[in-house]
Amino acid sequence: MLEINNYNSKILTNISFSLKAEENLIILGENGAGKSTLARVLCNLIENQSVSFLDKSLSSLSLKERALLINYIPPKLDIFDEYITLREFFTLSFISSVNNEKIDAIIDLLSLQHLEHKSCQHFSSGEKQLLLLGSALLHNAQTTIFDELSANLDINRLKEVFDIFNSPALKQKIIITHNLDLAYALKYKVLYLQEGKIVFFGEHEEFFSASNLKKFYKGNLIKINEHLVVNL
Amino acid sequence: MKKILFLCSLLLICFAPFIGEVSMSFSEIFKETTVTYKVFWDLRIPRVLLAFFVGGILALSGLIFQIIFKNALITPYTLGIASGTTLFTAVSILAFPFIPLYIPGVLGSFFTIMVLYFISKKIHANEIAVSTNSILLIGIALSYFYSSALMLVFYMSNLEENYSIIRFTLGSLDTIGYKSVSIVFLVSLIFYTGIYSYKNKIKLLLLSNDTAFLKGLDVHKTNLFLLVLISLCVGISISFVGPIGFIGLIVPHVMKLLYKQSADKLIFPVFFFGGVFLVVADLISRNLNTASSLPIGVVTAFIGAPFFVYLLVKRNKN
Repeated sequence: MLEINNYNSKILTNISFSLKAEENLIILGENGAGKSTLARVLCNLIENQSVSFLDKSLSSLSLKERALLINYIPPKLDIFDEYITLREFFTLSFISSVNNEKIDAIIDLLSLQHLEHKSCQHFSSGEKQLLLLGSALLHNAQTTIFDELSANLDINRLKEVFDIFNSPALKQKIIITHNLDLAYALKYKVLYLQEGKIVFFGEHEEFFSASNLKKFYKGNLIKINEHLVVNL
Repeated sequence: MKKILFLCSLLLICFAPFIGEVSMSFSEIFKETTVTYKVFWDLRIPRVLLAFFVGGILALSGLIFQIIFKNALITPYTLGIASGTTLFTAVSILAFPFIPLYIPGVLGSFFTIMVLYFISKKIHANEIAVSTNSILLIGIALSYFYSSALMLVFYMSNLEENYSIIRFTLGSLDTIGYKSVSIVFLVSLIFYTGIYSYKNKIKLLLLSNDTAFLKGLDVHKTNLFLLVLISLCVGISISFVGPIGFIGLIVPHVMKLLYKQSADKLIFPVFFFGGVFLVVADLISRNLNTASSLPIGVVTAFIGAPFFVYLLVKRNKN
């Protein structure tokens, strides 16, 4: 069980919620609401004592124990070295021993064969997102937070990512996204942030009710045939 | 290509002691009674070895600094560590002429690196990420402070002290016998082993501080270890040969262009060719004019400064 208890900072106020081990979460909110900050707090990239797993504070665990529990996938790939290849990046994604067959399997799964020995820095934005997803699958933490993973993906790739999210490949997932149709289809629990405060935390059906959609999206979003579409 | 370059460099190092003001024949260097014997074994060989090991330390420290601070233009020199060492050494020449120079040298570089580390940690309290811009600016501010303080030292010193401080800041590989060489050799051995034993951690730092942290690396502790190791070793090296600049900038970059591999695989090439670079620079400085050898710092700066500008221009184009 993942829990955050009364976390406060300049950006976030009074953040408390808990997730059972088998529950996944979608985090929604406007630009600048504090979604990424919340993600960085949850994985301790921003130091704090408020996050705990099974009643043990995350900050009190050893670094390796923490790495096995939680992983964060940033919206943009950040690599300093110019010459690190996809395969090398995947090798560095493991916490314990490196498993080369697993790397091959992930490269096949995401059809990245043509990039295997190319330098990651020269990938397109979409390819970088896939690289990050592959890395998350290899790391395979108890909880993985994806920050805007779907932003730069083409439609076919987005469907692949959706299928992976829906498969048991990863354990607990927390997904930050602006793609409401994806959020709707995943049927995860929903947390809605507004100006650093949690204004909604609850079940998927409740959040996507007509009245809540109107409240949070001011009529800019409509439901057609079980899909959420921007009302342009 | 790389193998040929490696072999040529090895040959060059072997021939370097033969090249110089006093030309020597192979047969004479084994006759103990000749002047050639003395020049070869007591001056030339120690000089080439000193150049090689100092060059290796300076080049590798540049590579590691760039990884720690995630900026391709940072070296112990751009961050004021060389000027810190110079200032402390100058003060020591003035105030405590009897203590060996590597003591103020180590103190100077250690002090500077700790100032940098703790200020940057204060700026980024609670965060793993470090903004290199602020570090670079602190480094520049420190350098200015040090050079003003050095002016003050010059102002307060007499002519003789003035001369020895200036000679020190110009950099020189002049050495007699094997005392300095054996200390620097030992330092480079510790330095290389230390860096090499951190190879896997360095690999994670090549990604980003955030990623390294998420993979379970203690980023602060790793950086601190590397910084302390570098500051001690660079401090000692500089105290023997003076602040010879730009090696830490040129050599890692050329090696990256040549090898096109991630930096963790360049630890040996950077050390080796850093050594070769300084041996070559020293050959140039000894053989350009015969009256007296050119200060080594001048030679490396003449090569290095234009190269630095070239890198800046190239980087901004991308």
